[in-house]
Amino acid sequence: MSQPLLEVEGVVRRLGGRRVLDGVRLNLARGQCCVLSGDNGSGKTTLLRILSGLEAADAGMLRFQGVQTRLPGYPDDWRLRVVYVHQHPYLFHSSVAGNIAYGLKARGEPRETWRQKVEEAIDWAGVRDVVAVPPQKLSGGEKQRVAMARAKVLSPQLLLLDEPTANLDADGRRRTMELLARLFAEGVSVLIACHDRELIELPGVQRLHLENGKLL
Amino acid sequence: MGLLEPTREAFALLLQGDPELLQIIWLSLWLSLAAIALISPPSIALGLLLAKRRFPGQRAMVVLVQALLSFPTVVVGLVIYLLLSRRGPLGSFELLFSPSAIVIGYMVIAFPILVVFTVSAVQGADPRVYETARSLGASRIRAGLTILWEVRFGITAAVVNAFGRVVSEVGCAIMVGGNIAGLTRNMPTAIALETSKGDFAQGIALGMVLMALALGINILMALLQGEGGLK
Repeated sequence: MSQPLLEVEGVVRRLGGRRVLDGVRLNLARGQCCVLSGDNGSGKTTLLRILSGLEAADAGMLRFQGVQTRLPGYPDDWRLRVVYVHQHPYLFHSSVAGNIAYGLKARGEPRETWRQKVEEAIDWAGVRDVVAVPPQKLSGGEKQRVAMARAKVLSPQLLLLDEPTANLDADGRRRTMELLARLFAEGVSVLIACHDRELIELPGVQRLHLENGKLL
Repeated sequence: MGLLEPTREAFALLLQGDPELLQIIWLSLWLSLAAIALISPPSIALGLLLAKRRFPGQRAMVVLVQALLSFPTVVVGLVIYLLLSRRGPLGSFELLFSPSAIVIGYMVIAFPILVVFTVSAVQGADPRVYETARSLGASRIRAGLTILWEVRFGITAAVVNAFGRVVSEVGCAIMVGGNIAGLTRNMPTAIALETSKGDFAQGIALGMVLMALALGINILMALLQGEGGLK
């Protein structure tokens, strides 16, 4: 059996005396889509933030592509392979294309290659018709799709999406679901925290449920 | 003595482009711009650091910089005077009563304004800016620069405010510059000198220039804040 992409063991996160995560353990295979459900405050976002290195855990171990780290340590080069998208994504005060290009530029990608990739990502996300609109003026669904394109263009080995369909109108939700389906089809490894019943019940996804800081 | 005649003379000086007056205005602007250009990068970097990083003594540093804001400029001038005077530790550089001494004084005065405004702007930034940048693979420095870009209106307001403060500064400039005609005499020190001599025309003319500058700076800040509000 091939080595899992990500192994998580005994992750503990305490906040104000409460164990938000209480010994979480999970394995994620390469190319797998995993949906993490749970009530508000169950620790879904906290777990995703820990996996992306944005938040420190109090204890636990991560093994990513066979490389192990003891939390709260987080190797800096993992940030080039694991990308997290907020529930309400922040788009920088630049253009849509500038936002999508941000990570490529940060990685020192040559101009001629990132321009091509950005153009492809714009089409992938279906945001060609809003490229001239200031990002702050986009709808919630459009922002979500730009943020997904901005993450996907980096070809991450693990994509962490926090409630990608929450607070979207019907059209925004439908188009985001289409993008997610395309991600799954392309074999991108994705871990999604969500409440969305339709997303949780998608065929072929691994389902996990967090309750009182424990993974069921 | 009426105000009408000196005011009329002041307008005449301005309209005729009196060379002495223009030289004083030019020197004031040049010294202020040089000081702001030199002190802005390190002050903004320190402001970013104080706002984003936690380290021992960080809180004390913020309090110290805030305290510097309320230091009388004449005391700043006195300290710089003592440092630059012939018997001071920096006396060998022979900077006292030179334009460089005024630039140093201006830098010291502008420093806390720039730092405190930057801390405030960065702390007011959306926390997702830094997180998004880091998650997209940006280094800490690049993510920090991204924050500064996102709060650029606040940073620009800091720079404009600091410029406004130093261009109208008199206490420190007189102490370390010596108010030497053609060398270190700037607008505020010239106003103080000419008024004490009873020559109000030049003082009024320079006062009008300073007020126009203050008005221009405030209009610019209002425009920047309006622009920032569109976010």
